[in-house]
Amino acid sequence: MATRNRTILYRKYRDALKSVRVPSGSSPSSSGGPVIEMSSTSLLNPNRSYAPLSTEDPGNSSKGALTVGLPPAWVDVSEEIAANVQRVRTKMTELAKAHAKALMPSFGDGKEDQRRIEALTREITDLLKKSEKRLQRLSAGGPSEDSNIRKNVQRSLATDLQSLSTELRKKQSTYFEAPPAAKRDGIDLEMNLNGNHTRREDDDFDDMGFTDHQMAKLRKSEAFTAERKEREIQQVVESVNELAQIMKDLSVLVIDQGTIVDRIDYNIQNVAASVEEGLKQLQKVLLLFFLPQSSSFHIILGRENTETRGDGDVRYGSRHHVLNHVSPPYSQGNCPLIC
Amino acid sequence: MVLVSAVRDYVNRMLQDISGMKVLILDSQTVSIVSVVYSQSELLQKEVFLVELVDSISKSKEPMSHLKAVYFLRPTSENIQYMRRQLARPRFGEYHFFSSNMLKDTQLHILADSDEHEVVQQVQEFYADFVANDPFHFSLNISGNHMYMLPAAIDPSGLQHFCDRIVDGIAALFLALKRRPIIRYQRTSDIAKRVAQETAKLMYQQESGLFDFRRTEISPLLLIIDRRDDPVTPLLNQWTYQAMVHELIGIQDNKVDLRTIGKISKDQQEVVLSSEQDTFFKSNMYENFGDIGMNIKRMVDEFQQVAKSNQQIQTIEDMAKFVDNYPEYRKMHGNVSKHVTLVTEMSKIVEERKLMLVSQTEQELACNGGQGAAFEAVTNLLNNESVSDIDRLRLVMLYALRYEKESPVQLMQLFNKLASRSPKYKPGVLISELGIFMGTETFLNIARNMARGLKGVENVYTQHQPLLYQTMESIIKGRLRDVDYPFIGNHFQQGRPQDVIIFIVGGTTYEESRSVALQNATNSGIRFILGGSALLNSKRFLKNLEEAQRIARTSTSVV
Repeated sequence: MATRNRTILYRKYRDALKSVRVPSGSSPSSSGGPVIEMSSTSLLNPNRSYAPLSTEDPGNSSKGALTVGLPPAWVDVSEEIAANVQRVRTKMTELAKAHAKALMPSFGDGKEDQRRIEALTREITDLLKKSEKRLQRLSAGGPSEDSNIRKNVQRSLATDLQSLSTELRKKQSTYFEAPPAAKRDGIDLEMNLNGNHTRREDDDFDDMGFTDHQMAKLRKSEAFTAERKEREIQQVVESVNELAQIMKDLSVLVIDQGTIVDRIDYNIQNVAASVEEGLKQLQKVLLLFFLPQSSSFHIILGRENTETRGDGDVRYGSRHHVLNHVSPPYSQGNCPLIC
Repeated sequence: MVLVSAVRDYVNRMLQDISGMKVLILDSQTVSIVSVVYSQSELLQKEVFLVELVDSISKSKEPMSHLKAVYFLRPTSENIQYMRRQLARPRFGEYHFFSSNMLKDTQLHILADSDEHEVVQQVQEFYADFVANDPFHFSLNISGNHMYMLPAAIDPSGLQHFCDRIVDGIAALFLALKRRPIIRYQRTSDIAKRVAQETAKLMYQQESGLFDFRRTEISPLLLIIDRRDDPVTPLLNQWTYQAMVHELIGIQDNKVDLRTIGKISKDQQEVVLSSEQDTFFKSNMYENFGDIGMNIKRMVDEFQQVAKSNQQIQTIEDMAKFVDNYPEYRKMHGNVSKHVTLVTEMSKIVEERKLMLVSQTEQELACNGGQGAAFEAVTNLLNNESVSDIDRLRLVMLYALRYEKESPVQLMQLFNKLASRSPKYKPGVLISELGIFMGTETFLNIARNMARGLKGVENVYTQHQPLLYQTMESIIKGRLRDVDYPFIGNHFQQGRPQDVIIFIVGGTTYEESRSVALQNATNSGIRFILGGSALLNSKRFLKNLEEAQRIARTSTSVV
């Protein structure tokens, strides 16, 4: 694609005309060029933490270029959220590594890894939750250019947060669905080691079965595994719920790509109105989201589904856990295709 | 992709090197240019947090010097004036000015003079001066499109303005493609000749340096033709998806406004039909109405399967999967609703206006009926209460275009009958509208077009082939006659071109852009691009006719 740069010629003209032009002096309001612009117009957030500076600099000529001024206070909030987004990204990579490590056979009992995973997951979810709450604060009052900017910044950050939430979900489901055998290997291995060890010691006596000592150890580690598994499930359920909540809140703000709302010309016409629209959309989303067969669906964290058989083969009825989350009673059965 | 990606590249380049929070300022033309290729969410990714129109922005007093302003405007004198005022009282920290076409020296001077505070960081020409509706179809969205139908003497400056805009648009297209074409034009059209001459002058003389690209062996061909050469196509009712939506409802910059049509649910009142973003639309935009119905039904069934499985959430995995897939599900839901709504509304209109009946007669008029049968059919439809005014008008116009020479008496009868049914269509007006086609070879072309006959058509409603189809065939066979389409100046082309840009002064139709797209899909070795001063449907075309006729009449009566 061809382009033509006219800047050099333009600057030439500008310089030439500058010398010809009568300097306009330091006239107060209109043409004055403040170096730092801190306007105290009421359209900006009145709770700003910056005190207004004098907009006049009598010493300079009016030819000083306007430097990029200090932004209004809400930009701090948006920058904080953006920083959180970055932190989440870093932690996400760490989490991926921790997942990978936990799935590898190791000699330890995997408790450390598990703790680390839980900790990271908790940190990430907290950061996401915190950011999402802060995001709500970016909403501004009445229509003004500033409020449009805020809304757009909100939408942009909402998109980032939502994609990170989705990513976290995907990582969790990959890890959670990894065969428990992988995590049990550590125990088995340890068992074998102990077993061998013991056998060596008690060679004469133990051709057939396990010693009492070994049985006790086995049962203990099975119980531990069951407990750990349950904790994992609980954590995932919690996190899924939390993420669902986050995504629900964000869906108001995130733009549906390919729809009219994603059109630049539409947005120019409909800036302030669409926030209100978004709230109505949210109601529809809730109808769709908590799709009921009955008027709510259920989480049962069923300890009773976990069986331990005598032969050491622990069954986790994880596939039979059913989710029950009581939702507000506005659900109406089948959602119509066209709302 | 060609046209769309050209404009996207320009927009990307504008934004990429400017860091920090930005505001994008557009005019009423560049808004369309940008909106069809770039989305709001993409702007947000590039940290553009505000978009404004240049004429409304001056009303605001809010200074925002933490923002950098990116202006993308057409280089009109009006826009230069807006910029002047805004530079005198700068509200933003930095100003980056991109013009969609070539700037005159005087304009640079004016800007430089107003830039006392030296806030302008760069001034660039980025030649995205056309609306890239589809990969091979563009429009210039010229208001006052009726200009081309008026004799030059009536409004010379208006006509000059019209031609300038076309030349600018065509020039921008070739600059975006980095090519310089051989130019041919339709001999029988003064305005086509004028546009061709002025384009040649610009590319080969005035700005020859700018257009001096590395020469490939075969230059592309630019062919300028006149809408009046084929007035039948814009008058016909359409039965393929994209063309039909435009004909029955109206598409503007790839958006459809359903608010005037009837009771539509809030979130479907305005929808987007873009082949780039909607895969269902991309595979169905050129299909027949009947086939579309089937395909939509299939899409609805698929969707209902997904919806049903979403309702059976019983395990933690199901729940997790639902949360993961929710964005996709939501998108699918929106898309299904959109197409179902469109097809439903169009079916209603077809039913109300009895369009299947009307269209059958139209196709016979346009293709291969006999005069007697045609007269009878049109008379019957004029008598039919359910047929709307505009459809009656179209039928009579089509009859007139076809049989005016053959049976003027019967045509007069039809005019009178039309006037008695729909009083706003006075015979005198219609005759003078037809007069716009006098002296052109319209009638000859129509006869020629008819004589080609039906080619074993399955669907009586889509018998018609626009004249453009034959023009493209001639080009492919290397048989576009010099005598009909002369070269400008001493241009000459040895052999077939590989790229052909056809510009229709007066506007294109979606039936024609479909023809071009299907032709391109046959990989004949030639790639066609189609553009026009506007995107017509029958309503717009008739409005242009009316407007031109009205102006011509008032000016002659003054004389």
